[in-house]
Amino acid sequence: MPYNVMIVDDAAMMRLYIASFIKTLPDFKVVAQAANGQEALDKLATVSDVDLILLDIEMPVMDGLEFLRHAKLKTRAKICMLSSVAVSGSAHAAKARELGADGVVAKPSGTVSHDLEEKTGDELARTMRTLVAA
Amino acid sequence: MSDEMDEIWALYADDGAQALDAMETALMALGDGSGTPEDRAAHVGALFRAVHTFKGNSRVLGLSVVESRAHHSEDLIGLVRDQGVPWDAEIKDILLLAADTLRAMLEETAATRADVDGATSEGLMTRLLDKIARCSGASGAPETAHPPTAEALAEPAADPAPEPVAATEPEPAPRKGKSRKAADPAAVAEFLSDAAPEPAAEPQPEPAAAAPAETAPAPAPAPAPAPRARRLADDPAYRDIFKGMSTDTRAKLSALYSDDAADADAPAKARREADGLRHAAQQMGLDDWVAALDSYLAGEATAETLAQLLLRLDDLTDQTFGTPAAVAAAENGNFFDAIRGFLSEIASIGTDFSLGDAPDPERLGSAIATLRAAAAPYGFLRLSEAGNTLLRATSAAEYRSAELRLYEELGAIEAVMPDAALAAGISPRALVQSWAAEHVFDTLATLESTLERLRGATPNRDKDHAQLEHSLRLVHHACAHYHIDMAGQLAMSLIDLFSRVQSTGLAPDAILTHIARGFIDTIELVFDALYQGETPDTQNLEKLFEEAANVCFVQDGLMTASAIERRLGLPREFHRVLSPESVRAASEAIEAGHRFYIIRADINEDEAMAENFIVWLSSGLARPITNVTVFQGEATLFDFLIATALDEPSLAEQLARLDPAARKLRMTRALSILQEADEPADLPDTDTDPAAQAAINSGVTPEMLESIGEIAASQSMISHMLTGLADHDLMDSIDAVMRANGQDWRRARGQVRAMLSEFSTRLQEVTQMEAQLVGQLTQLQEETVEIRSRAISSVIRPLETFVQTYSRRNRREAQFSCSGDELPLDITILETLRKLLRALFVMRLDLGPDAPQSIHIAFHRDEERVLAIVEDDGAVIDGSPVLDDIQSTLARSGGEIRRVALPGKGMRFHISLPLAMVVLDGMVVGVKGVRYVVPVDAIRMILQPEGDVAFTVSAAEGQQMLRIAENEIVAIHALASAGQNQPKQAQPQGAGHGTSARGRGVYVVVGAQGRSVAVPVDELIGQQLVLLRPLRGVLSRVQNMTGIALLAGGDVGMVVSANMLCAASGDAAGPSLRM
Repeated sequence: MPYNVMIVDDAAMMRLYIASFIKTLPDFKVVAQAANGQEALDKLATVSDVDLILLDIEMPVMDGLEFLRHAKLKTRAKICMLSSVAVSGSAHAAKARELGADGVVAKPSGTVSHDLEEKTGDELARTMRTLVAA
Repeated sequence: MSDEMDEIWALYADDGAQALDAMETALMALGDGSGTPEDRAAHVGALFRAVHTFKGNSRVLGLSVVESRAHHSEDLIGLVRDQGVPWDAEIKDILLLAADTLRAMLEETAATRADVDGATSEGLMTRLLDKIARCSGASGAPETAHPPTAEALAEPAADPAPEPVAATEPEPAPRKGKSRKAADPAAVAEFLSDAAPEPAAEPQPEPAAAAPAETAPAPAPAPAPAPRARRLADDPAYRDIFKGMSTDTRAKLSALYSDDAADADAPAKARREADGLRHAAQQMGLDDWVAALDSYLAGEATAETLAQLLLRLDDLTDQTFGTPAAVAAAENGNFFDAIRGFLSEIASIGTDFSLGDAPDPERLGSAIATLRAAAAPYGFLRLSEAGNTLLRATSAAEYRSAELRLYEELGAIEAVMPDAALAAGISPRALVQSWAAEHVFDTLATLESTLERLRGATPNRDKDHAQLEHSLRLVHHACAHYHIDMAGQLAMSLIDLFSRVQSTGLAPDAILTHIARGFIDTIELVFDALYQGETPDTQNLEKLFEEAANVCFVQDGLMTASAIERRLGLPREFHRVLSPESVRAASEAIEAGHRFYIIRADINEDEAMAENFIVWLSSGLARPITNVTVFQGEATLFDFLIATALDEPSLAEQLARLDPAARKLRMTRALSILQEADEPADLPDTDTDPAAQAAINSGVTPEMLESIGEIAASQSMISHMLTGLADHDLMDSIDAVMRANGQDWRRARGQVRAMLSEFSTRLQEVTQMEAQLVGQLTQLQEETVEIRSRAISSVIRPLETFVQTYSRRNRREAQFSCSGDELPLDITILETLRKLLRALFVMRLDLGPDAPQSIHIAFHRDEERVLAIVEDDGAVIDGSPVLDDIQSTLARSGGEIRRVALPGKGMRFHISLPLAMVVLDGMVVGVKGVRYVVPVDAIRMILQPEGDVAFTVSAAEGQQMLRIAENEIVAIHALASAGQNQPKQAQPQGAGHGTSARGRGVYVVVGAQGRSVAVPVDELIGQQLVLLRPLRGVLSRVQNMTGIALLAGGDVGMVVSANMLCAASGDAAGPSLRM
């Protein structure tokens, strides 16, 4: 059984792009997508068995950090920040960790991530597998 | 009492007197507070530290009454120092009264070695609490100027007027048959701290842990009543404490009532108990209780009056703590109120567990069921799971750990429901933070040992990573307790960095370990300073944070993001957005001479446009570096940073093709690339400040990237040329020419000559290219070494602070001085030195009265090693396990430690450590097929003497000597295989031993430490810059060698230690002789 993934990103392109990347991973399946934190919280109430949430930070309505605060109380799903501002060891990454992010992966080129399948793709897939296995 | 205790009490009296002197001096200096803000701040700071020190000393000796008075004085000063409460005459007078009171207490406690009676200082307490309540606004009454009257100074202020009991929030009645232990936040903190529960009298919960939340009903309208202190009874923490105390007292009174006939002392005992409870009730502001107890105490103490009192107290208990909290919570829907009983229960169970009573599964299960019921409506899944871990705890330690986790979860809930927590007067986050702060030194020790394990071949890497994260989270909580945000953020950054390492399954590298160790050392000093009541130096934390933010760039061998930001002059919104991949792309684009633009794209809702834009970006005409999101009302736009070879008009044309209306895609800015010389002049002077250079250029420099590019190009060219030469079969070509010329050599000679000449020219070109490649590699080597170098001061400065702080903690005052710390060393050696020196200093400073008061350390460095000479005035020691450890650590790296007792008093330690990762200018020589590198600086001369100038000295056990000058002879020392020292077998090299020797022996004469030695060699291969690497494993036992080096051509050479060679030669034959 593949692990169920929710993608939370305000950019439709990015959601599409990540979803198409996840299609290349046989052990994961995208079961929900949301354009902001509030929408994701609402969907969490209806979509059960989400194993992993890939979460952007900068979003309108409710950003990723605020979503983290709430979601960490109410879901067993692992949450991985996937954001261009969450460079390893940075203040954003530190804040995400403080609020309970289980993993943080830097999104290399913002919305248009041509290298997603190359370098970051490897890191993202490895992190996703580490998180769901924990 | 032991001598040690005598000394402690004497120190307490002495320190206490000094602290109170400092307190009075600061109070006098403050006067009416009319000085400059700077002066005022300095005096208030001094005042705070003095009282803080006094409080801490009292706490250590268990003088809870004294401590409580000092604590509240400190709280009042803290309001002035940290909360902007203005200094006024009333505060000054209260604190003068406090100083007098504390001095009297000091004299009494120093004489009796016991705590004082709290009743004598009730007036002070009341005034302190009253003023604190008014200044902090907790009572809801406005703060008014309130100069003390002469009466107020002469007599303790009257107790605050009570508020009606009915106005307070009801609390659950104690449950029959259950523990009566107070289950307040402070008690939980005590439990978590593993400390024995303290008596409920004079409880002093930490301010953060007992955040008062409830507010009294709004005061009546004008005329405004006189400002009045907020009652302790309004504070849930104190209410819980009093509830526990009253329950205990009533139980004791009941027992005395039963024993009245048998125990003649029962009435007196009952009076004492009642008096104690009355005091507590008065402190709480519970006048009904005070009246009831006064009535009993005023009359005759009989069994009948005691029975009446017990009945009255039962009524008062119902009135004061009547309605169960759960019912109230259900009514007002406050989650935190709903779990109040649960928290009390698990704290009580935990206390019993720590005392040896395993939890009753039914009782614990019932408590967890309460938690689940409270969490369910909110969907707090993880909280329920945290509760379940309590059920699974099989030891007190596991229970405590589970309880801590539960409180952390509650802290997360508090973060999203702050108002509910405030209304309930419960702050789990503050509790966890307070606990973490109290245990931070233990946590740091655990952190350090976990880090050590992770650096090695740990059998359970995941478990160690989990431990590391847990410890760092606790440090984060402790930092939050003291509001040192930068440190807390750095702890979380480290969690992030180590988590990413964990996903690779590898051990953390040297850079990350260096940052983590730096963090532990620095934060330890920060907490030490806080513990001492001093202002911590957090400058180093900022530097570490910068390093942490750059570590991924360093690991990837890149320029840092900030360097790219500077060079491109990126606008603020791109700050800290660049990832390593973005930096790599930008670096390559800069190298390629591309231009950089920012393009505003409004394409989120236009899929066709977005697709076209992506296709265009993928076409190779432009390269996306990164982008940031821009919110404009409801619309989400993007600013793309791109690099392209296109100029501005060409780019505009391209964009117009994608978006003819120019509404959704437009270039907003063309960036100019700053040359390095154009970079802002206000940067630190990196030429003169290695630390600044390290901070700025902690990544690979542009020069290195340039070198790497050149090397790649050179290598490619050499490869191409060699392939061409290899493909060219010279013999075939000559045969062809001969055939073409009818095998007539005369005719063919010219063509063959031209062909060979061309071949020779191409070979020379390859040789030149190879030489150029060697030069480029050498440059890269030097740049690489430089980037790993730090000044010794980067390690010594924190150690200096450590020595002073550690010494103060041991009640000493050690002076620290240093020379030679400007020398640069590789970070690996620095780390080794740091650990060794720290262990050595701790060992010396732990010598009690014989510990040194002065420590000087001098650093020297030559081509082969770094020498640290530590000299102090402490006691002479013969040896210690610590020194043995240091010796074995050094031995593994080929170093050593020697100790010398100084005349009179003091010790000198010589620590010698071989250098590694330095670039060395060496002469490569060959001996019996083995390559050796002799440091050029150590070579005095190279001789190829005429005739046989070597001779044997019988007096030196057959040592062979060489005359190197008319009046100087030196020992001959052969470099045998594996560097074995074989002076007696040394033979002058002769014919047939090498191309350079040309039939005569060649000697390289090296000198060090005033001695010289002649080394016979077969070949002189040439001078070369080499990267010195440390000897490891079995190689570390090879004598007279400093390390190994990879030579041009791929050979490995042993690097000769001139120091060791000359010393060995000196041992065998004495110094070189001048005649």
